[in-house]
Amino acid sequence: MTAPILQARGLTRRFVANKPLFGAASIVQAVNGIDLDIAEGETFAIVGESGCGKSTLARLLSHLIEASEGSVIYDGRDISILSGKALRDLRREMQFIFQDPFSSLNPRMTVGALVGEPLRIHKIGTPSERRAKVAELLRKVGLRPEHADRYPHEFSGGQRQRIGIARALATGPRVVIGDEPVSALDVSIQAQVVNILEDLKDEFGLTLIIIAHDLAVIRHIADRVAVMYLGEIVELGDAAELFAAPGHPYTEALLSAIPIPATGARKVQTKIEGDPPNPISPPPGCRFHTRCPYAEDQCRTERPVMREIAQGRQVACHLAERLTLEGIVGTEKTRPAAVADRFARYSAARAAMSASPKSTTLKTEE
Amino acid sequence: MTESQPLLDVSGLSIRVAGANRPLVDDVSFTLNSGETLCIVGESGCGKSLTALALMGLLDGTPLRIEGGTAMFQETDLLSASQSTLRSLRGDRIAMIFQEPMTSLNPALRIGDQIAEAVREHRGVSHEAGRARALEMLERVRIPAAESRLDEYPHQLSGGMRQRVMIAMALANDPALLIADEPTTALDVTIQAQILDLMRNLGRETGAAQIMITHDLGVVAEMADKVAVMYAGRIVEAGSTEQIFDDPQHPYTLGLMSSMPSLSGKSQRLVTIPGTVPSPQDMPIGCRFAARCPFADAACDAPPPLVDLNDGHRVACWHAPIENAGIAPGWKETA
Repeated sequence: MTAPILQARGLTRRFVANKPLFGAASIVQAVNGIDLDIAEGETFAIVGESGCGKSTLARLLSHLIEASEGSVIYDGRDISILSGKALRDLRREMQFIFQDPFSSLNPRMTVGALVGEPLRIHKIGTPSERRAKVAELLRKVGLRPEHADRYPHEFSGGQRQRIGIARALATGPRVVIGDEPVSALDVSIQAQVVNILEDLKDEFGLTLIIIAHDLAVIRHIADRVAVMYLGEIVELGDAAELFAAPGHPYTEALLSAIPIPATGARKVQTKIEGDPPNPISPPPGCRFHTRCPYAEDQCRTERPVMREIAQGRQVACHLAERLTLEGIVGTEKTRPAAVADRFARYSAARAAMSASPKSTTLKTEE
Repeated sequence: MTESQPLLDVSGLSIRVAGANRPLVDDVSFTLNSGETLCIVGESGCGKSLTALALMGLLDGTPLRIEGGTAMFQETDLLSASQSTLRSLRGDRIAMIFQEPMTSLNPALRIGDQIAEAVREHRGVSHEAGRARALEMLERVRIPAAESRLDEYPHQLSGGMRQRVMIAMALANDPALLIADEPTTALDVTIQAQILDLMRNLGRETGAAQIMITHDLGVVAEMADKVAVMYAGRIVEAGSTEQIFDDPQHPYTLGLMSSMPSLSGKSQRLVTIPGTVPSPQDMPIGCRFAARCPFADAACDAPPPLVDLNDGHRVACWHAPIENAGIAPGWKETA
């Protein structure tokens, strides 16, 4: 692993959930004392269910919101104390892709103005250089330079997300943080955008931080994964290893709940019942113990801390060494030869389609 | 499968929006037997929800018109039945669950009263009997402390609990057919697992047939006995769950499966479907997938019929099965 480009130390963020006229306000600890090291050039994913604090964590890492406690260190510098020009310079290097391409693009700006805006704000290049850069960026995300004169409403969801990506890449960032960047898209469009993200990451040597709830996308795109529950990271490790052999009961429950798109595969299991507890008053001890099928007395009183249980794998569970948890392995059956051949033909014909010069202008983006 | 009369027999259903050159839902046919679960799968705008709404008679008052077809349900044609007939069927013999329970539940009514209302409307029972049935149903969908929940309002429940209430309400009158439109899409994965589990068990217990509309092939594999894959308003492939997953034939089905990231094994680059769905104003006459299909040629300018390849496995593609059609990898470059 190379040197960390982004680090979090004791990162905490509290929100006031309800402030009555009299009496104490109720506080939600959305992110609670998180430590994280993200290596340059890796794709790091943060997963968890609604309300686990993953989006808050992403916004803290990019300094879109301020931490209540703790610090974020980018390239050796504490960014929580930055302001003014220093903060603007940081924004050049760290960009954000939002989930909803319908609400994150100003409908009154042309695509060219949207993608070129970061260049203008950071005073990069002359107007004609910026126009050329916009055209290049649009081509890179699979759109056409002449799309620059159109408005966001003229584009489909997938195309708008491409515009969002082009805009994020305009300033030549080193770190790109995506909050559910493909969740709103249909499967076939999602695959296109996932490929674009991977291509651009390779081309520009980006560090990608992806927030998502879709575990299949995470498994595909991420090098490492952090699993969050009620504001805390409960497990962190290599994506392939973590999916094959989870170390935390919550990770196991998440994996066992994924419906697998194949016949003869295991059916979904409900290893945990009910809903997550109210984050305003999280349970004492391990926050997961109220739903954990393996919980013991110790879990109800003593808060587990993250510790390394294997090379590169950290788990916050008292029982980690004693449990043998089930991951996802070998879900794909081998296809009969004729069917495998059919998929190979599809794949080859599809590749030929984008290779032939006629079809690049033909159907890639209309 | 065909010895007895199917519970639901949809034939040639077409739906058109005013001003469009071609139907939004075009010649959709399928049958469903008691106790079976059919999943209709497809992406946004493929017509899967419109098909469900048409069966429920819920297109009245919209710019959409049913242009043709029949949907025989226990001797009644749902597509031509009067609103009063449909009103007595809906919520009784046929029930529906929607994606977002918060918008389908009345926020101003206690959930016990909402369920009881559905029972009293169709059964004419007393207030007490309705309430007793509501409690029974809440217990059946495994809502903890059901008795105290009866007097709560929808906003006091979590998303998963609300969806359970919707299911309780839908099943309160023992429907013969349950139509569920993306019932778990708004839910987290662990809650989705609970709801899928519940729906499967309830289906088994009650013997109700289910039509489940989804975009998620994982949910399809989990729930379906039969599958219909829709694209741009047409069924492009249909068959048993095994036929669709183990022997997919249509290039769209192949593309959809190739687009899905794998949960195990190595992460290869995803093989995608290029482009986007044609707009409703601009539907081609021929195969609607042709513009995105790597196998498309001149033959695809004519609409491909949905033909039975074997044993109920129906495919609408001039080139299926692809390996026998002489389409070799890379054919397009030489063409």
